[in-house]
Amino acid sequence: MIELRDVTKIYPTRGGVNVVLDGVSADFPPRTNVGVLGANGAGKSTLMRILSGAEQPDAGRVRRRGRVSWPIGFSGGFSGSLTGIENCQFVARAYGVEVDEAVEFAFQFAELGDYFYMPVRTYSSGMRARLAFALSMAVDFDVYLVDEVTAVGDAQFQKKCRAAFDERRDRSSVIIVSHSLATIKSYCDRCAVLQGGKLHHFDSVDEAASLYEAA
Amino acid sequence: MRELLVQLRVIRALVLRETRTRFGQYRLGYVWALIEPLLWIATFGGMYLLLDRPAPNGLPLVAFLATGIVPFLLFRETSGRVVPAIDANKGLLFYPLVRPLDLVAARVLLEFATHMVVLGILLSTLAVLQGGVRIDNVLVLLTGLLLASGLGAGMGLVFCGLSVFTSSAERVHGPLLRPLFWTSAIFFSSDTLPEPARSALLYNPVLHAVELVRDGWFAGYHPRDISMAYPAVWVLVLLFLGLTLERVARRRIQLT
Repeated sequence: MIELRDVTKIYPTRGGVNVVLDGVSADFPPRTNVGVLGANGAGKSTLMRILSGAEQPDAGRVRRRGRVSWPIGFSGGFSGSLTGIENCQFVARAYGVEVDEAVEFAFQFAELGDYFYMPVRTYSSGMRARLAFALSMAVDFDVYLVDEVTAVGDAQFQKKCRAAFDERRDRSSVIIVSHSLATIKSYCDRCAVLQGGKLHHFDSVDEAASLYEAA
Repeated sequence: MRELLVQLRVIRALVLRETRTRFGQYRLGYVWALIEPLLWIATFGGMYLLLDRPAPNGLPLVAFLATGIVPFLLFRETSGRVVPAIDANKGLLFYPLVRPLDLVAARVLLEFATHMVVLGILLSTLAVLQGGVRIDNVLVLLTGLLLASGLGAGMGLVFCGLSVFTSSAERVHGPLLRPLFWTSAIFFSSDTLPEPARSALLYNPVLHAVELVRDGWFAGYHPRDISMAYPAVWVLVLLFLGLTLERVARRRIQLT
């Protein structure tokens, strides 16, 4: 479960400041998949980093209960000079899970073959995302933060991710940010739209869709 | 309490990861940590031999130089590795568990372990060659090494904090440390210096750390006016400054 109370995040820019989150309050209850829609540059990734705790808000409070993942997606986290397996070992140790099991799981899930033993800098962005995804599944979080998952891998890999989330449905939830309505429709029970630094909540995905598409 | 355990776990994971990035890229890494002090011992040992001078206080020459250069390198390398610690590993801050100071702690620990091993190898080799070894006071020896490490960590942290505000901080760091190489009693004993040079050099906290290591190692070697408290105060002041800077700089450390 994650609670945001009046969270504000401001970045300095050349011309002044950019208010990315402007007093956002929201509840992300347990076992409820929430989608956050937003255009490019609306602050979705910032919201994710704040939900995860990797970044602190300038004002407001964030409360987390349970284990929250890092934002899973294309960017960040991996060290290019280390191999896939070394990156997995690091994350497994840091999160305190059995290293050999996690590595084995990630190897099977990510389907990178020999690339698993190659430096991550040789990976395509899709391969990175697959590894990030597999690794997060190996750790077993209560809340998964997924950043722009839509393009991860081919249809078959997407099906696999879907199955993995469905299997965990009774113990973990997913918060997905995306600019694609289709992804959010297929995964989420609730939806919010991030626009102009504000988060608008909707009980159904369809309501959100009408606002998002109108904008 | 639980948070402390998590942080220790993270630091352990970082140390194991750093061993790979510090030494792994080319296998020479581990060997180099040993070669550098050996080169300095050979250089200064050669000079002592050419000048036909005995080591100060009649100490065995190689052991005298080894106990000088290793604590100094511990100080220098720790500082040098801490300055870019956060910037080089920014990507890891993506994992919310990893805090900026963990990155610093991991590097400090790894340098300490590395130089302990180097010192151990050098001095046990000597012990084998000379048939036996006696450490006079392990606690004093260890205090010297900890102070050298602490001074490096404090110095590195200050420059690490400064480097967030100005990129020249990193460039000044190296040249700034260079005079310390010549003034930290690596290849001489503070006791054999004439006044007022001796009193002047005693302001250098690294000299105290180096001399403490020797004081602990050799029986009957106790240079005048060497103190544990003086470099310890330096460590505290540097750490306080460095941590304050880190707090101020934290907001500026951007992930992307």
